[in-house]
Amino acid sequence: MKVLKSWLNDWIDIEDIDSNDISDALESLGFEIESRTDKVPNYKNIVVGKVLEIYTHPNADKVRVTKVDVGSKVYEIVCGAWNFDIDAVVPVALPNSEIKDGFKIDKRDIRGVESNGMICSASELDLWDDHAGILKLSKNIKIGSDFSKIYNSVDTLWEIGVTPNRGDCMSHLGVARELSSYFDKPIKSNDIKLSPNIENVIKVNSGRTKFCDSYLSVEIENFDITDSDIKIRYRLSSVGVRVINNVVDYTNYVLHDIGQPLHAFDRDKLFGTISVRKAKEKETLKTLDEQTRKLSKDDLIITDNDSPIALAGVMGGYDTEVTDSTKNLLIESAYFDKVSIMKTSRKLNLISDASIRFERGIDYDIQHKGLERFISVFKHDQDINYSEAMISKKNTFSHENITFEKEDIFNILGVELKDDFILKTLSKLQIQSTLADNKISFTSPSWRYDLERPIDLIEELAKHYGYNNFNSTLPIGKNLNNKGEFWNKRNYISNLLSSKNFYEVQTLSFTDKEANSIFTPEKTSVTVINPIDQTQESLRTNLLTSLINTYKHNYENNNLSCKYYEINNVYDDGNHKLYQDIPNQEYSLGLLIPENESNPDTRGEYIQNDIHTLTNIINLLFPKVQFEKLLRPGFHKNYSYILKLNNKIIGFMGKLSYQAQSLLNLDTPIYLIQINTESFNFKDIQEHNYQPLSSYPFIKFDLSFTVQEQFSASELIQYIEGLLPENENNISIFDNFRTEKSRNLGIRIVTRNYNKTYTDSESGEILDMIVKKVQSKYSIKLNKSDDNAT
Amino acid sequence: MAELNFDKVLASLRLRLDEVTSENEFDEISKEFLGKDSLLSDERKKLSTLSKDDKKSYGEKLNRVYKSITDNITKSKIDFIDKKYSNLENSENEDVTINWVNKQGSHRHIISQVMDEVVDIFSSIGYKVAYGPEVETSWHNFDALNTPEWHPARYESDTLYTDINLETLLRTQTSTVQIRHMENNEPPAYIVAPGRVFRSDQLDATHSPVFHQLEGLAIDKNLKFTDLKGTLEYFVKQFFGEDIETKFIPHFFPFTEPSAEVLVKWNNEEWLEILGCGMVDPNVLKHVGYPKEYQGFAWGVGIERLAMLKYQIDHIKNFYENDIRFLEQF
Repeated sequence: MKVLKSWLNDWIDIEDIDSNDISDALESLGFEIESRTDKVPNYKNIVVGKVLEIYTHPNADKVRVTKVDVGSKVYEIVCGAWNFDIDAVVPVALPNSEIKDGFKIDKRDIRGVESNGMICSASELDLWDDHAGILKLSKNIKIGSDFSKIYNSVDTLWEIGVTPNRGDCMSHLGVARELSSYFDKPIKSNDIKLSPNIENVIKVNSGRTKFCDSYLSVEIENFDITDSDIKIRYRLSSVGVRVINNVVDYTNYVLHDIGQPLHAFDRDKLFGTISVRKAKEKETLKTLDEQTRKLSKDDLIITDNDSPIALAGVMGGYDTEVTDSTKNLLIESAYFDKVSIMKTSRKLNLISDASIRFERGIDYDIQHKGLERFISVFKHDQDINYSEAMISKKNTFSHENITFEKEDIFNILGVELKDDFILKTLSKLQIQSTLADNKISFTSPSWRYDLERPIDLIEELAKHYGYNNFNSTLPIGKNLNNKGEFWNKRNYISNLLSSKNFYEVQTLSFTDKEANSIFTPEKTSVTVINPIDQTQESLRTNLLTSLINTYKHNYENNNLSCKYYEINNVYDDGNHKLYQDIPNQEYSLGLLIPENESNPDTRGEYIQNDIHTLTNIINLLFPKVQFEKLLRPGFHKNYSYILKLNNKIIGFMGKLSYQAQSLLNLDTPIYLIQINTESFNFKDIQEHNYQPLSSYPFIKFDLSFTVQEQFSASELIQYIEGLLPENENNISIFDNFRTEKSRNLGIRIVTRNYNKTYTDSESGEILDMIVKKVQSKYSIKLNKSDDNAT
Repeated sequence: MAELNFDKVLASLRLRLDEVTSENEFDEISKEFLGKDSLLSDERKKLSTLSKDDKKSYGEKLNRVYKSITDNITKSKIDFIDKKYSNLENSENEDVTINWVNKQGSHRHIISQVMDEVVDIFSSIGYKVAYGPEVETSWHNFDALNTPEWHPARYESDTLYTDINLETLLRTQTSTVQIRHMENNEPPAYIVAPGRVFRSDQLDATHSPVFHQLEGLAIDKNLKFTDLKGTLEYFVKQFFGEDIETKFIPHFFPFTEPSAEVLVKWNNEEWLEILGCGMVDPNVLKHVGYPKEYQGFAWGVGIERLAMLKYQIDHIKNFYENDIRFLEQF
């Protein structure tokens, strides 16, 4: 919302206060300052003149020649605008003056006639956008005056944010009330005495609906529809309202002045009693913008003899609108229900200055003042006739008196506020209050809907005390250096993967249904009913597609083939493990390893990864993991595994199937892992068993066996370890050679006794024992043994 | 007495030493000139045949010659070794300014790093990490947080819903975790909840449908507005540095009262808002059934915003495109 310093000055004397101080005040009162403009005239040496004569140009028919009196002298000026007659009072740029943006005006020959300057339009003086012609001023202004002196040409404009709970601040009066307490200056009453001189012709009432608390009207006769006063037009255009004509401008003016929206009807287009009700289904109304709107029973409407004539608080009707030929007016000033207006304006997407104010709640006791202000502004300009206000009010509002202990203030804020500060602040805010026996009682004024509880008043006091005047104290919480398992687990995994040159990524949680079905067709996607676009309607059921997209992005854009991981939620339509009424969500880890990985060393070749790189990473993360072969969608026939920890499934991994690889347009094979990080405890993966170091020399055997195609090497290692339970063992596979007919497995056994050095014969016995046991257990053939191999 | 021509011996030694090509030759030379078959040894054997005076003077001479030979060999050996290693090092002369290996760092995503940093700061003053679901009930996202029925944040134009009755949604704020935590844990509560939140915005330079917040909540007996100020000032100084200026200005959030925004003075010029906070509204505590003597404060901070400020990142889009050129910089 925009506020003008000169306009605020109508309500509180702040003209002499530095604008920087006002900015500080606004911010400290909770108005975020979005922008501030220090206004100065964008012109020089413009004077007020009066048109004495107008005659045709001898050599041009698109312009006219005028004689203009500027007080000291009469000038001949050629003018291209036609929207004025003799006697018009206008701004004149004499020779040696400047209009908008430093454009110099001088004597100039226009087709043989010397023009001694220029008659200016509002746009040419950078006042507001108006290309209809020159700017016509009130005939009361003294000829020869300095134009910049006839309105507040030096001014400050603020654009401020008003929080949604403070509808009462959406006017100059509202902001002035807040500043009044800050600067300790009184609010001016600006009351005027009206003397109505015509009778009301049209009856109005607020209807039987609870959605209209009050409906007031005045009627106005004997006026001209014309431009409004320059001061009004300057103010409205400064705060961003388009100036139209006096009737429309004055209704807008009252809205920005005191926050009461008004609506003007052409009285001669009204026939019966004006009332308010909710619309019926299938009723229609042609609104000002000439659209025929279908109404519903949620819409609050104004009726004339029970027929819709306006959408209450949102938009007027076409059939009763004020036009250039309007002779008599009926001005509406009403209080409409917040939620009702909000629903209608949002549904029809008609959001106006008026609807926004009704939505947030206007002062329920200001409707009469709204009409008074309207008449007083109009009367200042023209000698109008007007009626009394017709008032229909239900008085549904009353603000309760609330009492609380004064010590509650300290208990919440941590500072003691002095009694006189409390009382003075509340009084400036026109909040009725008393302080006795350490109890505070208050009743909020008719414009405040945000003061319903003691805490509301405590906040109000804190704000006016100034947040930056509070002390600071640092309490220490009860969870010192205990981040909790969720975070520790996440960081542990992340640190391990970082050390292996994986890049962590953060990708969006959205995808489309088809992408989800590549890897996790068994899961039903959670869908967004109002998606940003159709490719983002589903929440991802796995992290793998996102990882592949990231891989492809960097491969295609940067020619880099890297390893990635992401730790984030996946979602599906199943039941949530802990909570009711929400879908299942699993905080998951996804990894991607390409077969050809770019070498970080630019001298190096591609790093070759294979299924063993994958198992290596998994073993690093989960030393006790078990693999169980199971073909999952999207995976390679032989390289697709379920991962288990303590016999519980924690995830799956494998190689992308060649078909999926080709479908996804990937140049290199890809290995993928997805783990549900909620499916295991941190201690299950972190547990470390220390193996003591033997101080005796090792013995070492390299054995080579012929094994079956499906033989599991890790099982063999575990078996051999079991055969040497008292030793420090280090058993590894050093060869896995395949031909079409056979498979050879080379296994290296390095073992040390904890208590002695093995003799040659003991060493030989151990070798014989292992070979014998392994051959009989697995029925595999020993090809070769190399005792104490090096 | 016929003395050996020692000058000749030394000259011959020097010739030998000059021709050395490998280190073990020095042992051979020692043996040749000082060993038991050497000329010097032969001369020593003759000593016993000499008169007492001659014996003394010739003996001393032999000793001097012995020392001279030893010194020559030792010096020559040292020089040889020096020269050998010096040559070796001369031959190794790479241009160290060439960076063959691409930037290798932790490669953790900057959002994770910033979340970690913020968590660490609050962990140091007694806060634990809590987490809650991202697909939430409207009740947890709005009602329990005291958001009125008519509040604009509930509009479908702002919030992404996952059911037609608008009862479940993608949480728009991590404040939901306050409610989940308090529903499931007795007071006191000292938690921070980093996580994803969602809004109905297209991904562009300044908007993202997904972004990250960190919610903080402190509930205990006797926590006051002054504690809120001290806690958040501590955080801002830890994160941005001791010299940063902060100020608190009033604001409005449905679930806190009094509410405030914290601004920091950036580069000694502009005041930028970095977090929203306030005393937890009594209605929120009532919704989760906390006893009356408990109260406290809460705050929410945008992780992307912190990252963008601290690391001068210009596009939100960068966080979610995961371009290696971006990832590698952190």
